Amino acid sequence: MDFFELTTDPIDITSVSRRVVPLECGATVTLDGYVRKFTKDRETLHLVYEAYEPMALKEGQKLIEQAKKDFEISHVAIVHRLGKLEIGETSIVISVAAPHRKAAFAACEWLIRELKRTVPIWKKEVFADGEVWVEGDAADIKTA
Amino acid sequence: MKVNVLFFGATADLVGSRAFETSLPETSVAADVISLLRAKYPNLRDRKLLVAVNEQYVGENTRLSNGDQLAVFTPVSGG
Repeated sequence: MDFFELTTDPIDITSVSRRVVPLECGATVTLDGYVRKFTKDRETLHLVYEAYEPMALKEGQKLIEQAKKDFEISHVAIVHRLGKLEIGETSIVISVAAPHRKAAFAACEWLIRELKRTVPIWKKEVFADGEVWVEGDAADIKTA
Repeated sequence: MKVNVLFFGATADLVGSRAFETSLPETSVAADVISLLRAKYPNLRDRKLLVAVNEQYVGENTRLSNGDQLAVFTPVSGG
């Protein structure tokens, strides 16, 4: 029931969150991450996301497994969009279903923080006057 | 031995390619590939680079094997 998916199509947030609603759950926390127009004073025209897809799928699954060990949650659904995204379009949805909301909020925050650090996906910001591949902080990546 | 090296995002732009195959001495480790790349592509020299071998993050002293698929990329920025 858990899933981590990559897609170039627009993401339907409700359908993602409703795919993980088991009967023992009482709360689903869903993060809808979307494209911001202004970063400080700079205006973004659009974003482009690129992934190392087979590794991104593996790293995404690892995050889900770890979250289910560390938090009292039942199911996790993550969909990340790739390709060109316009302002306001959803780039990522993370839905965490749990018996009680507190663990779902905590797990959702942990999942987005870890995804930004470990899952091999990159974001290019395209501005009116140039473009830049954004670089994360990559602190303490676990290596084999 | 021969390994395949993949690039994504910023590294693909900086190298001007998305993949190439290269020959290495038998006892090579991940850091040797980074050194080769930094020597060949000066615009990689001041970039923090991560390495994955066969879709797993590895440390710089990880020994490489014939046929390995490496990926060399800047810190990820999804979400």
